[in-house]
Amino acid sequence: YRDLHTFELQAPTRLIEWAHGSRVCVAGYGQSDGNEILQLIPPPTLLTKETQGLCPERDFKVECGGFSERPVYSLKYVLDTSLLVTSGPPDSSLQVWQVSAEDSDVIKSVSHIAAENDTGQSWAKIATISARAPWVLHGSRLDRVQITEVESRKNVYTAASGGSEELSGLAFLDCNTLLLCCATGQLCLADIRQPQNLVEAVSVPSAPCSEQWCMGTRHGAQGLEPSSQPVARLSSRGLLTLTDLRKTSEFLALAKARVPSPGSGAEFLCVSWAPALEGCLAISGFDGTVHVYDTQSWDSSGREAEPIFVHKGHAFGGAGGSGDPPLVTVHTWHLQKPRTLLSAASDGSLHVWDWVQPCGKC
Amino acid sequence: MPEIKVTPLGAGQDVGRSCILVSIAGKNVMLDCGMHMGYNDDRRFPDFSYITQNGRLTDFLDCVIISHFHLDHCGALPYFSEMVGYDGPIYMTHPTKAICPILLEDYRKITVDKKGETNFFTSQMIKDCMKKVVAVHLHQTVQVDEELEIKAYYAGHVLGAAMFQIKVGCESVVYTGDYNMTPDRHLGAAWIDKCRPDLLISESTYATTIRDSKRCRERDFLKKVHETVERGGKVLIPVFALGRAQELCILLETFWERMNLKAPIYFSTGLTEKANHYYKLFITWTNQKIRKTFVQRNMFEFKHIKAFDRAFADNPGPMVVFATPGMLHAGQSLQIFRKWAGNEKNMVIMPGYCVQGTVGHKILSGQRKLEMEGRQILEVKMQVEYMSFSAHADAKGIMQLIRQAEPRNVLLVHGEAKKMEFLKQKIEQEFHVSCYMPANGETTTILTNPCIPVDISLGLLKREAAIGPLPDAKKPKLMHGTLLMKDNSFRLVSPEQALKELGLAEHQLRFTCRVHIQDPRKEHETVLRVYNHLKGILKDYSVQHLPDGSITVESILIQATAHSEDQGTKVLLVSWTYQDEELGSYLTSLLKKGLPQST
Repeated sequence: YRDLHTFELQAPTRLIEWAHGSRVCVAGYGQSDGNEILQLIPPPTLLTKETQGLCPERDFKVECGGFSERPVYSLKYVLDTSLLVTSGPPDSSLQVWQVSAEDSDVIKSVSHIAAENDTGQSWAKIATISARAPWVLHGSRLDRVQITEVESRKNVYTAASGGSEELSGLAFLDCNTLLLCCATGQLCLADIRQPQNLVEAVSVPSAPCSEQWCMGTRHGAQGLEPSSQPVARLSSRGLLTLTDLRKTSEFLALAKARVPSPGSGAEFLCVSWAPALEGCLAISGFDGTVHVYDTQSWDSSGREAEPIFVHKGHAFGGAGGSGDPPLVTVHTWHLQKPRTLLSAASDGSLHVWDWVQPCGKC
Repeated sequence: MPEIKVTPLGAGQDVGRSCILVSIAGKNVMLDCGMHMGYNDDRRFPDFSYITQNGRLTDFLDCVIISHFHLDHCGALPYFSEMVGYDGPIYMTHPTKAICPILLEDYRKITVDKKGETNFFTSQMIKDCMKKVVAVHLHQTVQVDEELEIKAYYAGHVLGAAMFQIKVGCESVVYTGDYNMTPDRHLGAAWIDKCRPDLLISESTYATTIRDSKRCRERDFLKKVHETVERGGKVLIPVFALGRAQELCILLETFWERMNLKAPIYFSTGLTEKANHYYKLFITWTNQKIRKTFVQRNMFEFKHIKAFDRAFADNPGPMVVFATPGMLHAGQSLQIFRKWAGNEKNMVIMPGYCVQGTVGHKILSGQRKLEMEGRQILEVKMQVEYMSFSAHADAKGIMQLIRQAEPRNVLLVHGEAKKMEFLKQKIEQEFHVSCYMPANGETTTILTNPCIPVDISLGLLKREAAIGPLPDAKKPKLMHGTLLMKDNSFRLVSPEQALKELGLAEHQLRFTCRVHIQDPRKEHETVLRVYNHLKGILKDYSVQHLPDGSITVESILIQATAHSEDQGTKVLLVSWTYQDEELGSYLTSLLKKGLPQST
């Protein structure tokens, strides 16, 4: 490690989202009422390029907070507005909130967006974009995907029925292209100008036992076509596939991560690309660790890959021995500092860590 | 409604100085009397003119309570008691009483001698002020006067810090001062019982902070020290005799042992004696671990930490030295600093807040050229680090304390208004209590619902019990009686007994009402008509026609006479006692409607 900071939140979170001004947002997902949405200002040590050891300002500050009646499973900021959208059980509706940090430190609930044909079975995955207008892409199943304008709550697009698989993630590749990932591993591309069309990408290798999949897309690389960035998919058994969306008939790469098996379920599976490091991605959700891999050396053989770094902090943090070991619920990369990550676990811990490349290559 | 009034004179909505006035059941208490460390003029003192415009404050306050020895809680005490004027009792814990004067004197020296201030208290004033102090023990109920009592609870934070419960009758307020809900290496965590005060006044400085774990801070501290020592440099750590110094010593000793380091660590002797002395006195105020080690050996019999000698400062090679005073404003730490400042391999680590005007404050602000005595310029090339281990409660800790004490209302001080809205809502939602955040000089009034115990006479109790079901402890029961307040006792008795005891005669009230009825017949015929009418309607009541021509309905009397001027109108006189008011009014309105034609 070059640096490691550990914090304890009052309630565990399963999301870490970046907001403008280097703010970070976390939210509680407990069953009972009174989950808090917290927008935090990271300590100056995280914001500056050089690491200062004993800097007095080492703490996160709660800039503002809100209270949610339902557990918050997903949260996305709507760029260029002061709004954010959350979703969570018991149904697929969305909650819209207003952040006004200067006037008061309370995040207020503003409105609800109901999902059409909401079967009330699962929670919606969400993605936001503000290209033409503030939009939120949401849906819990492949046949329930829609885009709604956030402020007017008008429906802008509904995807054609593609099957009723549950979704594990969705994303805007650009203002017209959507990428949908099913829990079965299927990837679908859609163009909102052609709602009837859903293009299927290559499936994942079929497995004897059922496994769940999630995806990670890369943002932030300037000037590069979003669809030229490989999409990573991670399974609950530790399989990782990389796919180039321009050549969807074959895998770019296939590898296996060394994870404990059987997997403890797919609740918190998370895979993400490093915004500032070429070819690096991180995975978590199997236990109390976060793995970082360099995919540049991978091929399609499906061999076991060696992580270039493993963060074990969450496994040691806790109260010591009693109860279940903590499970990492989510991780995210720092947008500017290349090797800094934030990770949170089911015991309420929040870690910010910066790892050192082992063999010196940068 | 009875009420508790709270007015912060400082630390309403700012961090800097704490001074809170509480008015409870006719008693006035001042909580803390701190100095604002950021100002150089009169703004640093609380504004006492709020209590009274002129003259001494003794008559206006029943007592003053000081929570701990930090200057932002006790710095203005000598000014308040000796320059403004107060001769009443000042309460604080034993360690606070012992340590306060030292810090005050230190502060006075810096302000007057170094900065040349004139409107400041003198050494004698500090001494005179401390003579008014009454020291209290933890969990000991102290009777300030017949009605007012106070009790101190352990607050953690620093040695001797306490939270105070102020009680008058059945109304109470708990003031937390600064407290900490997580134990550290040398202090335990704050604790209070389920005392259910009407109001809890809590500090909220760190309510919006999510703190970096202590382990990380300590690890970084050790890393810095290690790096400096590895490259042959010297580390100076200026400390106050008590508190963080012990934590850091324990930390370094363990680290040195684990890493098998050879560089010497020194602790200046004056420090050792003082510290040992205080720890012996106040051993019950530290946490379990320290108590155990203290019993086994002297606090400072470390394997790797030795007593310092002035000459060692000139020794070549790496070393770590703990020296007083903590802000580098005089004495040994300043001497060592001057010797080592010129070498960039060396490091000074400031473990706490430094008052303006001290060398410590200057170098933390970034100054690298300092003017010393005799116009000498000192160039500071050594590394300057600041590290704070100060312990305050965060949002989680505040919620914990509220959960422990179960107050009916909460008041937050020491935070910024805009940044406390979220915490206010959080407290209100989770505990269903009201949460207040007054600004300086703003008075908050909290309504209380005190219970007043009253003795009830056996006769009355029996009578009331006979009327309805037995009294249920959970349901309120309405009773009628007379409240007698004599001397300081309250008794509830029946009205008859009250009259007897007080030697008063009962007055009977009788109402008479005139109802005009159009009836040209003779009076006795009218009476008969009225009688039949009432008998027909009031079937459940006893309606009687008496031989003398009057009608009675229960105990109400009705008589008819002719109108003096108009023979066609009859006047009915309806008369009843106060006890029959309801029936009397009903009868009157009934008769006013007139008689039916048929009778």
